[in-house]
Amino acid sequence: MYEEPYRWVEAVGNRRTYLDEQFRQGSPVVGLVYEGGILLTTVSKGTSKLYEIYDRIALGGMGHPADLEKLRFNLLEMAHVEGFNRSPSDVTGSRLVKYGIAPVIKQAFEEVYKAPFIVRILLAELGQKPERDSLLTINYDGTFEEMKKQAVLAATKSAQARMWEYLNAQMPASCSLDQGLLLALRTWAIGSLAHRQESAEGLEESGSSGDSLKAATIPDQAALFAHLREVLADKTLECAVLDRQQPGSSKYRALKPAELTRLLPKDFQPIVTG
Amino acid sequence: MGMQGDFFQLLKEQGYTLGSPGLAGNGQELTSATTILAFKYRDGVLVAGDRRATAGNMVMYDRTDKVLEIDRHSVMAIAGVPATAYEMVRVLEHSFKYYRRTQLQELSFEGKLRAVSKLLKENVAAALAGTGAVVPVFAGYDFEQGAAKIFFYDILGAEFEGVEYAVSGSGSPTIRGILHYVNTWGERPLVELTEEEATVQALRLLTSAAEFDSATGGVNRESNLYPIIKLITQDGVRVVSDDRLKPLFESKVVRHV
Repeated sequence: MYEEPYRWVEAVGNRRTYLDEQFRQGSPVVGLVYEGGILLTTVSKGTSKLYEIYDRIALGGMGHPADLEKLRFNLLEMAHVEGFNRSPSDVTGSRLVKYGIAPVIKQAFEEVYKAPFIVRILLAELGQKPERDSLLTINYDGTFEEMKKQAVLAATKSAQARMWEYLNAQMPASCSLDQGLLLALRTWAIGSLAHRQESAEGLEESGSSGDSLKAATIPDQAALFAHLREVLADKTLECAVLDRQQPGSSKYRALKPAELTRLLPKDFQPIVTG
Repeated sequence: MGMQGDFFQLLKEQGYTLGSPGLAGNGQELTSATTILAFKYRDGVLVAGDRRATAGNMVMYDRTDKVLEIDRHSVMAIAGVPATAYEMVRVLEHSFKYYRRTQLQELSFEGKLRAVSKLLKENVAAALAGTGAVVPVFAGYDFEQGAAKIFFYDILGAEFEGVEYAVSGSGSPTIRGILHYVNTWGERPLVELTEEEATVQALRLLTSAAEFDSATGGVNRESNLYPIIKLITQDGVRVVSDDRLKPLFESKVVRHV
């Protein structure tokens, strides 16, 4: 049925439409470098979306939980076998992505008679030195990008672009964990509002439609926090760090409610719940 | 399958075997490690080991660390063939991490004990042939019971709880008697000692072991060589630094030698 090349191209195109649709309900993920390490932030309902992969590697994901689990296990297996057979310092985010899961995701995406992975992944790696920190994002078709200071995942390209623009503009040369957390939350809200607006307008993948939602309408801080409060009424704020100062070899730590409460400004604390 | 978070199983599926299968060897010429001890004190468990590795009559190395941290709350002290012991520690370290990261919860203390046992059983052939015997002491903080605990093993993997203390290695017969004496008829039982008193006790015990066992290294002040002493409490594993050991040794141990 797909033996004619153009049919295959068409099928892959349909797949994109189908996959884009699958992320509609998803929650954005923000990753950024702060002075003590790397912070990952998202909002989840029920299942966690941030995970520890290896001593200095963390994962944030969007998409189908079962697919995410499958890839998470792939990553964990690769990382631990490599870390045991060679050494923990040979386990790097970029190798895990380039030679590990990216080819697997791409293959699943292009084998049109099989199910693709419904995932977008952000892999954060804490370098031995701060300048070696990196954030990698992988899309459902296996394409990946490597960034130095910040990265975002969102349901649509345009939402992702808006978050990226905002984060890029607001990102200071260096920030503390509490500053970073607030910035991550605002960026998350930008993405979440963009999702909402796009669904309301029903203007899906007409490709360039993102341009109509231009930066002109960037909500102010109060509006962003109001949106967060509303969303967090029935969802959970999830934050994790790769903390350079953490004793021992594992640098990953999920931020507990008590720590979040300490980090957030007073008027913002009601959003932190168990 | 493969979703159980069992790292050792994963390694085996990839063709890994722990150590070499039992070839009849001459145990005398293998490197082996020597005196280790653990006892409970007021705040948790103290684990200590001398630093000598020997092969027959030869001193191979005088800066061995035989008290190895497996994770933030557990320590394995090793006596026996270091090659196998270090490999076991590496497997355990990765196993506990792999379990935590896949299952999203910490492996229970009991689970950790079983993992040590399993590795020792895996190693029986090499242990009996004399090429890979390892006799460890495992200590850690058990959060379910809210207490630090000590376990010791035989080379076949049987596990025993050291309610008050445990020892292993060639120098251990000497100090086992001392531990029993001090704990029973000393001014106070070991479990009531403060951190400093416990540290002094450990230094004295290892010095005694070195006195009677040629394969145990004592303190060498000229080269600034002190035993490894680690403390396990609810807050995790802490190393007692040489800077602290030095004055304690000089004021509380040296005059008795």
